Amino acid sequence: MGGGHLFDGYETDPAFYDEMFDDAGTPREHCRELWTALGGMTHVEVANMQERAERSFLQDGITFSVYDEKGAQERIIPIDVLPRLIDADDWNFIERGLRQRLEALNLFLADIYGPGRILEDGVIPVDLVRDCSQYRIDMRGIRVPHGTYVCVCGTDLVRTRDGFLVLEDNLRVPSGVSYMLANRRTVKTSLRNLFRRHRVRSIEHYGTLLRQTLAELAPNGISDPCIVLLTPGVHNSAFYEHMFLAREMGVELVEGRDLLVHNGFVYMRTTGGLRRVDVIYRRIDDDFLDPLAFRPDSQLGTSGLFYAYRLGNVAIANAPGTGVADDKSVYAYVPDMIRYFLNEEPLLANVETHLCRDPEQMEYTLDNLDQLVVKVVGGSGGHGMLVGPHATPAERAAYAEEIRKNPANFISQPTLDLSCAPCLTDDGTAPRHVDLRPFVLRGRETHLVPGAFCRVALTPGSLVVNSSQGGGGKDLWVLSA
Amino acid sequence: MLSRSARGLYWIGRYLERAQHSCRLLADQFGVLEDRPVEEIDRCWRRLYIGLVRTPAGGNLESNLGDEQFMLADAYTLAADLTFEPGNPDGIRNCLAAARENARQVRNVIGKDMWSCLNIAFLGLRDIEVDDIWRDRPEEFYLRTENAIRTFSGITDSTMYRDGGWHFMQLGRFVERAQLVAALVDAQLAVFPTSEYHIESVWRSLLQICDARVAYSRLHSLQFQPTAVVDLVVADPLLSRSIRYALARVWDALDAISSHQPLAVEAGRRAGRMAARIDYDWPNRDPEDDDATRATLMEIRDSCRKLHDDVEAAYFDYAIEDSPKP
Repeated sequence: MGGGHLFDGYETDPAFYDEMFDDAGTPREHCRELWTALGGMTHVEVANMQERAERSFLQDGITFSVYDEKGAQERIIPIDVLPRLIDADDWNFIERGLRQRLEALNLFLADIYGPGRILEDGVIPVDLVRDCSQYRIDMRGIRVPHGTYVCVCGTDLVRTRDGFLVLEDNLRVPSGVSYMLANRRTVKTSLRNLFRRHRVRSIEHYGTLLRQTLAELAPNGISDPCIVLLTPGVHNSAFYEHMFLAREMGVELVEGRDLLVHNGFVYMRTTGGLRRVDVIYRRIDDDFLDPLAFRPDSQLGTSGLFYAYRLGNVAIANAPGTGVADDKSVYAYVPDMIRYFLNEEPLLANVETHLCRDPEQMEYTLDNLDQLVVKVVGGSGGHGMLVGPHATPAERAAYAEEIRKNPANFISQPTLDLSCAPCLTDDGTAPRHVDLRPFVLRGRETHLVPGAFCRVALTPGSLVVNSSQGGGGKDLWVLSA
Repeated sequence: MLSRSARGLYWIGRYLERAQHSCRLLADQFGVLEDRPVEEIDRCWRRLYIGLVRTPAGGNLESNLGDEQFMLADAYTLAADLTFEPGNPDGIRNCLAAARENARQVRNVIGKDMWSCLNIAFLGLRDIEVDDIWRDRPEEFYLRTENAIRTFSGITDSTMYRDGGWHFMQLGRFVERAQLVAALVDAQLAVFPTSEYHIESVWRSLLQICDARVAYSRLHSLQFQPTAVVDLVVADPLLSRSIRYALARVWDALDAISSHQPLAVEAGRRAGRMAARIDYDWPNRDPEDDDATRATLMEIRDSCRKLHDDVEAAYFDYAIEDSPKP
């Protein structure tokens, strides 16, 4: 500890791209000022800042729920106060890549729930789409406003030595944007001066932008639609975020039981009587939206909601059935979608993916299990996956057995060399793996704020950044040109 | 406003009022009554428990008067029971937890400062037990907790938008207050009949709990007249902890929320009838007749309960066909 430079003793690992330092250990051009300024602070000062940030998270109740054998617990997502910087050129590239990708994904959904050209032309196997558990046959023939199936998208990006890669497209109910904003608000107060000097681009208008985007989806061009945010309730792990977004947008936060469908319209129960609802930003999975249309045992949804939706009397964002496009097998075809629908080469690359439904690729996967990451097709949150290099031979053998039983349920990818960024540790700073999740909005047009929820694997050496598995967050600064 | 949000705010009002009331009772019990004779302290515990409609574990409120050891030996247990006991839904910690949980669910309609204040108050209470407050002077803990609730009220008063949400929170707060004070006065008369002039301290303690000492000394000098004390805390329209004042706020809130739904109209009428009862019937009663006074207080408590049911059915949980028309 003592009075040395904050980054003394920081050692980059040559195997990974470091967000702050080049291979020679010199701070990158856009990080130089941050390096100088932070370096002038003592470890104690920075640690105090860190402690204040954590305390403010707890006091503001910026928590998520974790369910374990002891029941539900409210936890804060650990924040690391050292920001991650992205320069203007990199961001520009990311932004163009994300816009392109979301455009293609929406066209894909419109196509598979409409004419199905891409399937007919054999670009994507028909059964891959139709047999996907997230494919909603009831969505066929429904016209959605502006062709927007995916209104809010939270794409996971990682950086390796080869550049940015898309890890997954989260097209159902992506979360994390509240942490992007909360991390910013906290770090902004801690590093006020630095913040100004860096010309960090603002992300404060996310709520306004989201509301505007949702309003664009209102049925029949209603100019001042009644928008609500539909949450599964206070027990959901992302409840804080639902509440946060409802407040940012100034809309009601409703649960399924607050809504009812009458004569084909959706109403919410207010103290002044029933009020018609035009747009629902739902944070409930498809399955639970409407017990009459989907899972009959759902307690979270509203009976008849899908009927009102079919009639075009209410907009639901994201549309039901978007999950088919972020299925881990369909993911492998996104670059082909971009070529097919847009006649462009994809800007952001995919991670090389082997679909075990193909016998050859399954054999490859089984032969190289010790070097691959294997994921369950419909899984999320990092659950059920096998990280080959970190698994024991016995674990690998058991997993191989599972793959042989139901190959179509698995895909494999090479272990990724996620980039590292400096994080505060007990005795200085050390590199930890990071990714980023920018949020793209699409109503009539596509918008995104220059920022992202930057997730960090706080355990040394760990590549798992999921919040439910020990991941934390960082503020991400996109710098002006 | 969304019915569920309105209900949440209404309950925040109720739970915090309940917690605050218990804080006031216990601060009085441990502070003001400290130097009184054992029997009197014991009777005050009885008043406290009857007023909260609770029986202490293993206790008996009816007999044991004069059994000096019984209650006193248990002051520690009683404080724990009313403050931290997980099985006591009206315990102070449970009330704060419930208020905070309601606030958590309606955070999008309350200010950040309101939430933080309540959250910090709850976190301050979450992990302590009666031992922790017993080491110092327990009354200080109750004053501190009450101050946290007052701070919340202050932030609410100075920041909250005066729409339906505000009025529902006020409604909850004052319905609860009317009920609690009515129950407290009733308990006072049960334990200390007005004929017992000689125990001045217990009437002073009632004034203290109802924030009425300054008002009383202005109106009546320092002569403690039990019937005058009862009059003040029941019928004075200017005393913020009197039943009459609480009913006026209930009426105001219902009037501001106003819907023409029949049950909503009925709720407003109930509040008006109770207020009129106090304004026009109360002064004509025989102040020495404790039984008649207690019967009136019981009616007020019943009316408050029915008013609650009306509000529930009119605003929070109505059927489609009963939906209030805007």
